[in-house]
Amino acid sequence: MIIRKKYLFYILAVTSSFIAATVTALDSYVGAQSPFINDPWAFAFCLLFVGVIITILITLILSVPVHGKSIGSKILDPSFKKIRFVHKTELKNHFVSGVMNAVNTVGYCAIVSQVQDPSVILSFSQIVILYLLLMESITEKDVPTLIEVQSSVIVTFGAILASISLTGEFQFIPILLVFIVVNPTWAVFSIYQRKLKLMKIRNRPNDSINIRFWNVIFTFLFTAIILFVKDVFTSSNHLLSGFTTSVQPYYFLILAATMGTTFFAYVLYIRALGLGKASVNNAIRASTIIFAVPFSLLLLKLGYITEFSTDPVMLLIKVIGMILIILGIISFALTLIKAYIFIAIKPGYSSRETMKKLWDIRGVTHVSVTAGKYDFIVKVSTRTLMKGYERIIRKLDEIDAIKKYHWESVLKDWEKI
Amino acid sequence: MISAYILISMQPGKTDKAIKEMRQISNVAKISIIAGEYDIVVRAQVKNLEELLDVTDRIQMIDGVNKTTTQIIEKEISLQ
Repeated sequence: MIIRKKYLFYILAVTSSFIAATVTALDSYVGAQSPFINDPWAFAFCLLFVGVIITILITLILSVPVHGKSIGSKILDPSFKKIRFVHKTELKNHFVSGVMNAVNTVGYCAIVSQVQDPSVILSFSQIVILYLLLMESITEKDVPTLIEVQSSVIVTFGAILASISLTGEFQFIPILLVFIVVNPTWAVFSIYQRKLKLMKIRNRPNDSINIRFWNVIFTFLFTAIILFVKDVFTSSNHLLSGFTTSVQPYYFLILAATMGTTFFAYVLYIRALGLGKASVNNAIRASTIIFAVPFSLLLLKLGYITEFSTDPVMLLIKVIGMILIILGIISFALTLIKAYIFIAIKPGYSSRETMKKLWDIRGVTHVSVTAGKYDFIVKVSTRTLMKGYERIIRKLDEIDAIKKYHWESVLKDWEKI
Repeated sequence: MISAYILISMQPGKTDKAIKEMRQISNVAKISIIAGEYDIVVRAQVKNLEELLDVTDRIQMIDGVNKTTTQIIEKEISLQ
């Protein structure tokens, strides 16, 4: 099927946010169970322990072939064939992602264990979008434009307003944990998950199902190690208490439901990471806060949560926050300009060297050496035409090998999925 | 696997209908409407040159297509 790539990216990111909102509701219910509310460390271990089992089961089911293609390839990711071992080229990225996700989980537990109502503090985790913008400007060939910075700031502050609760209190150490542990680890985790998705394994695009599968395994291993060290040094008993709770049938089932749903949210998130930048993806993911509203109302009606502020000022703040999130996302969606540049080069210049020079230009996403009327077809993306001129055309003019080039702006495009 | 760009010039007013037909061709991986020297860029992914000929033939048969220029990709670097 050939559809518009932009639509696919937004469909994946928004669907992932919707499923994540379901997970948030399930987590509120599961986390409120007595063994977990008293010991968030044991809760983290339980989630990952049951998560490993349920992820293996789901991945095995998705590997079953039907009419020559696996179920996972038909319903979730066309790049997926079947469950497989980690390829040596992706080991480093899985290692970093696993460590970051584990430290993120532990940081989250440390906050939850220190404050009674963590929502006021955790709302600052939305600032991760700004961390990602900064990191992408260093690690990727794409310095953020003013529009990207503006949109990210709008979404970030919108997300803070929409998720903040005035029932909690500001405490210095937990806020510091958000800024120096939770946000950086999530940003690095997102960047490495994107790196994994952009890799080719045995000449095939890497698939999001195996990426998620191995991330759960690595995260579980590193979290278990961190908790073991904590248990030894603080004479606590989180590992054993987490294990004994998770093997009880009732708790196992509710943990399996939340981790099973999380699996699908992450698979779609990772697929979206392969199509767009991590910062834009996380900005769209902030819409989870909006989707969470109906789930919170449902939980309130069912009596699983007791607090939902109906203070008009608080509601107004939240509505303003949600409007800002939507505006920021729309602004991201409407401001990307793509173009092809057809290039002919002079005789006597090496194609390989020219290819390298073209690839080094910021904003260039594809360089193809071609046989035919043109020697190169380059694809670029930029947020404004002015940046396109300053960053791309000026650099092209500096390459001696280029005889002539044509800039052809893309008005609309479709891609096979 | 061979990849190629097919650059297409169109008669005015026939682009939308032509795009609909191009979306039905199985070896077409990507279609872009562009503004400039050409009107449409198609990226084809085929197993051999015989299949590429089939794709270009089918495109040339579409009503409104004036001219095609095929660029076979020899080497590629890509972010995605």
